Amino acid sequence: MSEFFQTFLNPGVMAESSGLLLRGLWVTVQACLIVVPGGLFFGAGLALAQTLAPAWGARSLSWGVDLIRAFPPLVLLVLIVHGLPFLGIEPPPLLGVGIALTINTSTYYGEILRAGILSIEPTQWEAARSTGLGTMATLRHVILPQGVRNVLPDLAGNTLEAVKLTSLASVVALPDLLRMARVAQGVHFNPSPLILAALLYLALLWPLVRLIRRLGGRAVLPA
Amino acid sequence: MSAVLELRGVGKTFAGVPALRDIHLAVGTSELVALIGPSGSGKSTLLRCCNRLTEPDGGEVVFEGSPVPAGGAELASVRRRMGMVFQAFNLYPHLNALENAALAPRRAAGLGQGEAETAAREALERVGLGDRTTAMPDELSGGQQQRVAIARALALRPRILLLDEPTSALDPELVGSVLRVIRSLKEDGVAMLIATHEIAFAREAADRIAFLADGEILECGPPAEILDRPKSERLQSFLSRL
Amino acid sequence: MRIFFDAEVLAAAWPGICSGIGVTLGLALTSIAAGVALGLVLATVRALLRGAPLRPVGGLIAAYADVFRAMPPLVLLVVLYFAAPFAGIELSGFMAAFVALGLVLGASAEEIFWAGITSVNRGQWEAALSTGLSRGEAFRRVVLPQAVRLTIPPLTNRAIATGKNTALASVVAVPEVLNQAASVQAQTASPAPLLLAAGVYVALFLPLVRIGRWLETRFHIR
Repeated sequence: MSEFFQTFLNPGVMAESSGLLLRGLWVTVQACLIVVPGGLFFGAGLALAQTLAPAWGARSLSWGVDLIRAFPPLVLLVLIVHGLPFLGIEPPPLLGVGIALTINTSTYYGEILRAGILSIEPTQWEAARSTGLGTMATLRHVILPQGVRNVLPDLAGNTLEAVKLTSLASVVALPDLLRMARVAQGVHFNPSPLILAALLYLALLWPLVRLIRRLGGRAVLPA
Repeated sequence: MSAVLELRGVGKTFAGVPALRDIHLAVGTSELVALIGPSGSGKSTLLRCCNRLTEPDGGEVVFEGSPVPAGGAELASVRRRMGMVFQAFNLYPHLNALENAALAPRRAAGLGQGEAETAAREALERVGLGDRTTAMPDELSGGQQQRVAIARALALRPRILLLDEPTSALDPELVGSVLRVIRSLKEDGVAMLIATHEIAFAREAADRIAFLADGEILECGPPAEILDRPKSERLQSFLSRL
Repeated sequence: MRIFFDAEVLAAAWPGICSGIGVTLGLALTSIAAGVALGLVLATVRALLRGAPLRPVGGLIAAYADVFRAMPPLVLLVVLYFAAPFAGIELSGFMAAFVALGLVLGASAEEIFWAGITSVNRGQWEAALSTGLSRGEAFRRVVLPQAVRLTIPPLTNRAIATGKNTALASVVAVPEVLNQAASVQAQTASPAPLLLAAGVYVALFLPLVRIGRWLETRFHIR
């Protein structure tokens, strides 16, 4: 048993690699701070566009959304981070990762928000209209506040997925938590940093999972 | 008259609140006993204690001379011979009328597919739905659904039917069809214990009526005695409010 | 623009990507089958033990679902591939990816089946038990068929996500589509193989994503 701890939870190795891991954790947090608000922002735009567009517009938007969803997130990420330079665009790595993952996750936020908008009875639109509110004002002050509340568990669920998604950044050499754990593992030739990183992800995300449960989140997550 | 079903001192408490207290009640062969009483008086709990859908915490339920076993295949076998009809029908929505009635003969009683379907078809004919065997539950009216539910219990040729407010969830114009079926079953000699709010039906069809209040049987006797000469104040006020 | 569709590079990448498609499909189908089966078994065990003295087992199953919902699949894959050997468990890249994707899908499938099972009205259990069906028969003939109906759309979506996540296996050198494209890209310094791979993924998954969307509207549950 003690040999197991020496190998997988070696205190010395974990202490020595904690600096690296913390730097990685900070990068992961930065990625989240781009991807989650960005995804929500563009998702909201997408939901509004689908709500307000004429039927053919909404239909083509839904095809566009599905096209993006057909890409594995990692493929989208690699394509943008390794493909953009060939177009002469070379964003900093964090931004490249942010763009790719925001594109991916905003399609899910968008669908969730749209479902929220659709969950509101048409009578709410009529009531708001009858008081002289315009379309945008109705959406902003009447429909969205209620709609968002209806899909709060799904929004939280997708935020969980978005945070998990940021671990992909390690593949394109962004020094995030997972990447730094790999580096530290290589330095010490010991898996403790990896285990520690996995535990950090758990510590970060388990409360979110519990929160989603409390919100009454169905297991029905967007794919 | 020998009792098919007998409750001897049955009690039940939910989270410290007594729901049934020292219930003594017997239902004889071919006898129809009606349970009346205000909502929440324990009628449903009493019925559910008979087949142990609700586990009584005291007393004994005796079915055909032996105590109802606590679990396992023995309990399942007793439940087959003790049909139950629920207020909300509880039909299986993914199965048609015939499949609803044939499931237990096939999978609980172990009949062959053909025999099970014959039993189910006969039961459906008996409740007047021989022509709706392939209908799905959501294609049937409430009254028809409840008759399918009765057929589901009858297909196992039970010794007694436990009916838990079988007409309470029905629109008024559909109540009659279900009560007619219950009356015809009585004529065929099926023993029944039925919780009901249909006092007129109880008066005319029941052999005995038991009045339940706060989990206790306050009075029990022939309809005329219970309904026309109520002794307890509770029963008097219950009847006066109808 | 020509650099993105360099015919020579595309021709060089094509055979590798073709064999990659086989690996991608193989990994996807095996992990989906294993994950769905795992989820179904766990949810069944949890349902049949409900209220029984073995209740802690249900708690363990719920905890498993929570942990693997919180764990990024790539982190799990990396731990399985790079850390497990220190415990003497040498998994091939394919096996590590299979186990990681299967465990992650198993957790969400368990949740989805469980949500379906618990959404079936208690009266259905009671009606079945009142006719003398055993718990197992009641579950199999009455509860599960109704639960499965509700689980089809979310389960389809999770299965598609698992299929897409096979791209993660490129990280542990499994020669699936993305891995094949990346290695040709490294040799030729051209983005064309990546674009080809992207096209392959779209061809594989766009129809499935459309089907998933259709199922969602068809079996609308909310």
